[in-house]
Amino acid sequence: MDTVDFELSVNGERHAVRAEPRKLLTDVLREDCRLTGTHVGCEHGVCGACTVLVDGRPARACLLYAVQMRGHEITTIEAIAKDGVLSPLQQALHEVHGLQCGFCTAGIVMTFEAYLKENPRPTEEEIRDVLSGNLCRCTGYQNIVEAVLKVVHA
Amino acid sequence: MPKTRFTQIGRAIPRREDRRLLTGNGRYVDDIEIPGALHACFVRSPHPHARIVRIDAKAALAMPGVAAVLTGADLAQWTTPLRVAPPIEGLHPVEMTTLPVDKVRFHGDPVACVIARDRYLAEDAAERVEVEYAPLPAVANADQALAEGTALVDESLPSNLVSEQRFSTGDVFARRREAHRVVESAFSQHRQTHLPIETRGCAALWDEGREHLTLHIGSQVPHPLRTQLAARMRLSESQVTISSLDVGGGFGQKIALYREELTVAAASRHLRRPVRWREDRMENLLAASHAREELCRTRAAVTDDGRLLGLELEILEDFGAYCFYPANYLARVVAMILTGPYKVSDYAFVVRVVLTNKCGSGPMRAPMSITSWVMEGTMDAIARELKLDPLEVRRRNMVAAAELPYTMPTGEVIADITPRETLEAAVTRVEYAQFRERQAAARREGRYLGLGLCSVVESTTYGSRFYKAAGIPGSGHEAAWVRIEPSGAVNASLGLGASGQGYETAFSQVVGEGLGVDPASVRIHLGNTDVAPYGMGSRGARGGTAGGATLFLCARDANEKMLAIAAKLLGFDSSEGLRMVEGKVVREVLGERIDTGISFAQLARTAYLDPTALPAGMAPGLDFSRTYDPPPMTYSNAAHVCEVELDVETGAVRILRYVVAEDCGTVLSPVVVEGQQHGAVAMGLSGALLEHMLYDEAAQNITGSLADYLVATATDLPRFEILPMHTPSRGNPVGTKGMAEGGVMGAIGAISNAVNDALAPFGVVAERQPLSPDYLRSLLRGKTP
Repeated sequence: MDTVDFELSVNGERHAVRAEPRKLLTDVLREDCRLTGTHVGCEHGVCGACTVLVDGRPARACLLYAVQMRGHEITTIEAIAKDGVLSPLQQALHEVHGLQCGFCTAGIVMTFEAYLKENPRPTEEEIRDVLSGNLCRCTGYQNIVEAVLKVVHA
Repeated sequence: MPKTRFTQIGRAIPRREDRRLLTGNGRYVDDIEIPGALHACFVRSPHPHARIVRIDAKAALAMPGVAAVLTGADLAQWTTPLRVAPPIEGLHPVEMTTLPVDKVRFHGDPVACVIARDRYLAEDAAERVEVEYAPLPAVANADQALAEGTALVDESLPSNLVSEQRFSTGDVFARRREAHRVVESAFSQHRQTHLPIETRGCAALWDEGREHLTLHIGSQVPHPLRTQLAARMRLSESQVTISSLDVGGGFGQKIALYREELTVAAASRHLRRPVRWREDRMENLLAASHAREELCRTRAAVTDDGRLLGLELEILEDFGAYCFYPANYLARVVAMILTGPYKVSDYAFVVRVVLTNKCGSGPMRAPMSITSWVMEGTMDAIARELKLDPLEVRRRNMVAAAELPYTMPTGEVIADITPRETLEAAVTRVEYAQFRERQAAARREGRYLGLGLCSVVESTTYGSRFYKAAGIPGSGHEAAWVRIEPSGAVNASLGLGASGQGYETAFSQVVGEGLGVDPASVRIHLGNTDVAPYGMGSRGARGGTAGGATLFLCARDANEKMLAIAAKLLGFDSSEGLRMVEGKVVREVLGERIDTGISFAQLARTAYLDPTALPAGMAPGLDFSRTYDPPPMTYSNAAHVCEVELDVETGAVRILRYVVAEDCGTVLSPVVVEGQQHGAVAMGLSGALLEHMLYDEAAQNITGSLADYLVATATDLPRFEILPMHTPSRGNPVGTKGMAEGGVMGAIGAISNAVNDALAPFGVVAERQPLSPDYLRSLLRGKTP
């Protein structure tokens, strides 16, 4: 299949990409932009591990073609800690043991970084509802919920 | 275990591995950049059972960028088959080739491997590989497997019954005759899969000049995997390196050397190119490894007040098409430990395992997961039939502290466990008596609450003597090394394979404890077989018990040598009274600590750079290694209580409350232990309520996506209430007993018992899982309270 050349803006940096139009955003981020923090868990939009922000809103990178992202700003997990300082949510996940194997974690961080901006005071029920879009096989979710609550009540 | 109180072990320190994982800097298999790597994609059988007539790869090979299409015949030249033939009575030896040569045995069985420039192209080319099949009758379930004249899944066997073991002690027939009642129960657990969020994958690099293979892979057992891989590639163990950095969940799925991984490694050597593979989610669901499909029946002979006189167990397990493990291995453990905390001396079991045309089974977090459901469900059945309180029936049969150590009828010995204490704590916490009042009041309003009790005795850590007695090759020992470098930096390693258990945190606390230094100065190196010592890896909840003890003993060896050096420098004859505390040597005189002015770093420097200052005859350096073989079996225990509300109109189950009182001995890291408790209970509940690997009557897998294979989300699970009731084990140098699988065992039993308690007014009993709305509605249809 023929490749196309396009520019991708990721974490404020421009990347010149040459890829087949069918190449998924997950694969372009990981292989072409060398940002491997975005993980691939199911490739059919269920597990949420690949969640990134597109113009500030959470999206499943496995359901997008990279070429569709021309003119949009992508944010990945690599941009969340600033100058080596964890975001309040990352810090809370660390403090209350909200991650184990860590494979789903980036997707969860991205989901809630966006959600908490628009909804800074969610209830536990609302947090669980939002979190239900991300699968975690290790934690039973409780400490992820705790971490979000910790940020909410900070 | 030592009398002194621990200062580092047991501290609640946040995890040291978090930072890299939170910032996207973890290194999972697929994150490792390998320039020039080719990508593998497997062609898989659409048939559950068929002869392979012909494989035509011409069209695929003609595609630019396709490097090779490999078949079973190719792999048979380059690799040796897997033979599983431990000398166990009643177990048939079996063998499998690296890829099937003559026939496929399940929907998803790999028949060819395409190697191409990138994954997209490899997938395209896989579509162009033409495989002609001659379908055979498929064996879709255990009943069919045992039927007369049925097809043979493995044609080298006389029947599909691959394993059968019987055991009897005492006289269960006599107990039946003298019993007030014989209570029969059935428990049907359904096929499930591990579902790590990171699927399987690997990257193989063959170095032609050095004749050395490096395999990057997420593995729970790096060294045993190396042994397997080397043997099957006809290489020496010195020619293979396994590297497993971050692993996105294992749960038992990342133990075996799978056929795909061996194929990728062989392809790399054949093509002299790096080759990598990451399966997609459908492959993971269809073809990685399944678990848990078994039917258990019990027959309990009881007195009129509910005391157990005799117990009989039958297990029939559907093991799928291939044996990556001895087929009896999982079910037999269930039979061995079934009676758990209950006193009974007359016991018999028969364990039968059959092959079917489904994905092969293996251990999944709590390979013996059904055990507690079967035993505690039997307790509930006794209570139901005799119209007794289920808690009272348990109290009447449960072993008391004064009766420990207690020998189970199978010869298994339980000691240092607290089943009564945890059960009483859990029922007190949920206010058991008040619950019964609330339940009665709710029933009057047409609401159906249920409470389920489940005591767990978890077999955590197998010692080599257990393996020997079971006839299974292998050992339960673990290995560790500790090296203090000239600067005083501490490196340590052991043969476990981390997949989220926080080893870098918990084991730095163990080393810190043993050495008398801050755990922050200790770095734990895991997963690389050139670095780590040969250990048995992570499986069966053995990490904390076997690994923790080994590492602690090794660190104590180091501590002893360092204090001997300190004594010499201080001009003392012996190191008696000297201790390392927070990196400083202190002298304890009449209960008082006196700083000697000698630091940990100074001793390290001396050991390496000033050997003439060492005590006479002492070798330079601070390099220690140690192995430790735990007792034949270590048990921990817990009591689970689950409260549910059943919507009898829809069959939906809502969990209102979940309490666990657990005793896993000395806790290395309370942070990690609590996380493991949550995760294990969640996996148990998810499996009991939602997950179901479904095959249709023609043995086609119809759960190939996460829209079909349902797993619990944050809205399905409750808030867990954990009561830590840890008492140290005397059989372990650190006092740990192990944990992390018992949560699954307890959850499966507690939720089932709770649902049956809610169903009680309707006179029906759920004997199957998952406890799905349609199943529960099918029980309730036409029934009135």
